[in-house]
Formats: sequence, structure tokens, C-alpha cells
Amino acid sequence: MGKYNFTALRVRQTALSQFASGKTSKLPQWVDVVSEIPPAETITRTRPFQHQLVRQRLKTVEGSSKPRVVFEVQEKRIKPKKASRLFQPVEIKYEEDQLRREFFRDHPWELARPRVLLESTGKDFENYDWSRIQQPGKRLDGESVVQRQLYLLNTVPNMTKSEAYDQARQEFYRLRLKEDIERRVAAEEAEATGATFGPRHLDMGMEGENQQFERWKKWAQQAAQIIEQRKAALSGAPEIMEEQAVPLEETEEEAPAAAA
Amino acid sequence: MIVRQLAARQGRQFLALRRTPVASRFFSSEIPTPPPMEPVVDTPLPEAEPEKIIEEIVPVAPAEPGQASWKKEATHRHRFNRMGTSMKVAYNPDSLLQNPPKPSDITLELLLASQTHLGHSTSRWNPQNSRYIFGIREGVHIISLDVTAAYLRRAAKVVEEVAARGGLILFAGTRKGQKQSVVRAAELARGYHLFERWIPGSLTNGQQILGHCETKVVNALDEELPDFKADLADRPPLKPDLVVCLNPLENVVLLHECGLNNVPTIGIIDTDADPTRVTYPIPSNDDSLRATTLIAGILGRAGEAGQERRMAMAKEGKTTYEPITAQALRLDPFTGTAPGSEQAKKQN
Repeated sequence: MGKYNFTALRVRQTALSQFASGKTSKLPQWVDVVSEIPPAETITRTRPFQHQLVRQRLKTVEGSSKPRVVFEVQEKRIKPKKASRLFQPVEIKYEEDQLRREFFRDHPWELARPRVLLESTGKDFENYDWSRIQQPGKRLDGESVVQRQLYLLNTVPNMTKSEAYDQARQEFYRLRLKEDIERRVAAEEAEATGATFGPRHLDMGMEGENQQFERWKKWAQQAAQIIEQRKAALSGAPEIMEEQAVPLEETEEEAPAAAA
Repeated sequence: MIVRQLAARQGRQFLALRRTPVASRFFSSEIPTPPPMEPVVDTPLPEAEPEKIIEEIVPVAPAEPGQASWKKEATHRHRFNRMGTSMKVAYNPDSLLQNPPKPSDITLELLLASQTHLGHSTSRWNPQNSRYIFGIREGVHIISLDVTAAYLRRAAKVVEEVAARGGLILFAGTRKGQKQSVVRAAELARGYHLFERWIPGSLTNGQQILGHCETKVVNALDEELPDFKADLADRPPLKPDLVVCLNPLENVVLLHECGLNNVPTIGIIDTDADPTRVTYPIPSNDDSLRATTLIAGILGRAGEAGQERRMAMAKEGKTTYEPITAQALRLDPFTGTAPGSEQAKKQN
């Protein structure tokens, strides 16, 4: 058999040779199908896609009113690739990666917000227009900031990364504040029209904590009383001391019995 | 002793001894004396019981107001139920099952939304799959969507052609959750399905394992011909003309038996699978149920188209295949002679 097993790829040749040698009396129905639609070559190695990071910027040129589009390509590595890694797939890089990393480094709690990853058609991006940060059918989140920042970098002349970041961020903060106010007003309206919200998770947690504290307080009072009693016994209440000494003696008596 | 100084010295002390008591003392009430303490035995802090705490927390909202609010909410719901917005475009996870797309509907967006591009961790790759891989993202191999689309179209074409020639198609998907999609694909393509374990030897030792299974003879219009029932008694069990496997990693035995019996196979090849195990690989994610459901659905639709083509031709009295004759059916499958001819020879 060797290193590779090509039995599955050579079904047609096998069927033909079996028929020719008389092993089978009839050719199977699929023989002409497989000859019309041959299986693809599988293990030939091809050069993988070489991904390169390309940045698009608008720059104003002196003497002309129109800004010029400039594409910057990430510099190639000076060290050549190892021959053994020539056929290995390459890392896919996009400019957003860096922007995304920076945004979520500065806003780590944005990662704790629930996010919809599901798409029914895969064509949601067709409805998005990043000339504004809010998109129909998309919740405002960190990704919005990243995409808006990228749009600004690509389309506004002489835009720097930090300027674009600040602008996108400010728009984001303003909308988040608005969302908070909307949510509060909605809750107030709902309560005014008869809605009742049960105890919140925080309240339930506080309630549990209170109960635990009460339980501890009861135990602590008892423990404090015991300490007081011991002190009293030492300073002149021998009968309590004797009472407490009894179990100690018992254990001492039991110990040798157990050893024997 | 100097008597002269006695009064001057000790008299002061004497006066200090006989100080008048504080007047406020008479107005204050009696000091509350604590009751005699009961001697208590030292007990450890009782252990918290989580189940109990939950039980204790629940009655925070008293039962009666809760009921009242629930009633209030119910009346509100009843009154305002028809008001407000309604969801028109919502993702229905069963739409891929109920109405799978046709091979002509394959788009890269559809494949992307169905997660067919997600491969395995780079350390688990099979280098034979390098030509299907687009790149590496977050330590995971990304399968090229256009390659997936091309191979899926090719596989769909094969299924359609085999179905049009009246071939038996077996859909096998033995992973958890693949049952529905496998059955649906088989239903569309009028094929057969396998969603539990492949019993090893079902092809190579079919006489023993599937010998008791029922077979039937049909005409070109798929109508059963009961007259030939008796002729099928000692025929070997049927073998599929095409096997579609949704999880080749777990069905190595099935694919090996297909190789031994010279049966063409179609399989979903993830980045950690061996593409040479199947005749027509479909490079795609085989761990996502959505991806496998999509691929099974597309292949099922292709089979449906092939079957429709075959039936349309059969109504015109034509077939794309060479039909078996009644005489050939009546022949003994082992000797190739007519039944009873052996006995006649012996008698002679």
C-alpha cells in the first residue's frame, strides 16, 4: 500500500479493470459519472495564499485640491522563509486586528457584554455604512468603534490613528450614555404603567449575605460568651472549670484503652 | 509625734474620706443586672448549606404580592398583546433542514454564515489538506471558501448524476445531532441513511449482517413488482453506488469497506482528516452541525433533482441506465443459469 492509499481515488480504474478481467459481469452505473466528473487531485502541494497587510490612507498633496489615496504595504521580512515552511499556510492579518486589540485593552469590560455571532445570510455587511457608528440590525459594541475608526482612517485625509480612535470613541460613549438613559426611562415608564420587577440579582445576593451574617452573629455571641465563662472560671468560679474539665479526663482515660 | 501638725496633716485625709455622695445617683434607675449566664458548650460555626440558603432567599418577594403582580402582568399581556412590534426576519435554525438550498444557491456568504470555513487548531492539521487552507487565524486553520464551494458543487453534481442513473445512495452521519440532517438528505434524494454506528462488515460480510433485510424489485417508475419476490431469496445484499459520509474521521471502517468493494465516496474533510480516504472530498468544517446540515441538505437537493430527472425520463419510456431483464433476474446468481437447469442436467 505504501505511504498513500489511493483506492478511493481510483474507483473507476479498478471498476474498469475488474470488468476487463471478467471479475464483474457488468460495469457499475457510476463509471461514466466518475469519468465525466473526475475526482480532484488531492495531495499535490501548492503555494499557499500569501497574506499581506495593506493599509489605505488619504493624503493631501500640495498644489492639488484632491487628496490622493495611498496604499501602504507592510514591509517584507528580511530573513527569508525556511524551505520547510514554504508550503505552510500563512497567518491572515488585517488592519483592524491592531485597532481591536487596542480598544479592548482600554475597555476590557466591553468583552463581558453579550454579543450576537450568528448570521442567517452572511450578508449583514451589505447593510452597514460606517460613515456613522450606528448600524441597522447591529448592536453598538466594541466592533462598531473598530470599524468606524478604520473607516475614518481610510476615508478622511491625513487622519492619524489616535485622532480616529478619539473620534470613534467619543461617538461611542455618547451613544452608550443615551442608551443608559433610554433604558432608565423605559423602566420608569413601565413601572408607571403597572409593570413590577422582582428582586434584582444584586438584591438577592445582598439578602443571602445578610442571612449569612445573622447566622454568624448568633454563633459569635455564643463564642464570646464561652470566652467570658472561661475567664470567669479562672478568676474564681471553680465549678465551671470543673464542668469543662470532665470531658478532658474522659478522653485521657480512653486513650490507653485504644492503644491497648 | 508632733501633735501640733496632726490636724493639719491627717485632717485633710479625713475630710476626703467623708465626701458627700453624688446627688445624681439617687435619681438614676437601678442598674440592669444581666441574668445569670447559662454555661454554653463550645460549638463550631455551623456549616452553610447552599440549598437551604436558596430556599430562604426565595420568599424575599412574598408569595401574595408576587401572585398579584403576576395576575396584573397577565391581564396587561392579554390587553396589550396585539400591540407593539413583531419580528419579521428572524433566524430559524431549522430552515436548513426544512428547506435546504439547491447546489445553484451556494454562495460564499452562505458558506461563511454556516461556519464551513473553520478548521482545527494548526497543530492538528493534516498537511495533505494544505491546498484547501486559506490561512491561519488565531491559531486555527481557515478553510478556503471558494475551494469549499467548488468541491461542494462537484460533489452535488456526482450525487445528481448517480441519482439520475438509479444508483443507491447512502448518507452516513454518525455524530450526535446529525441524525435529522442525514434522514432529511436521504428523504430528498430517495436514498438510504445511517445515523448510528456503521456495523463493520456490512459491506464485506453483508450476507451475514444484512442477509435478512428485505429487498424489492421495482420498475422504471419505482413501482414494486411483487412477482419477483421469490427470485430475490438467495441474492447477495445490495451494495450502495455512492456513499456520502459526513464524518469520515469516525467512519474509517465504512470508507475502508467502500474501498474494498469499489464504491465511490463523498466525505466532509476537515483540516485534520485524511483527504485520500474519499473519492470526492468536500473541504469543510465537520464539527459544526450547521455546516454539516448545509452540506447534507445541498447534496440531498442534488439527489432530488437527479431523481426527478430520472422519473421524467421514465414517464417517456426512457432510462439513463441499462435495465435488468426479467430473465437475468430469474437466473441463478451463483451459477448464472436458469433455475431448475442444474437439476435437469443431473437427471440427464
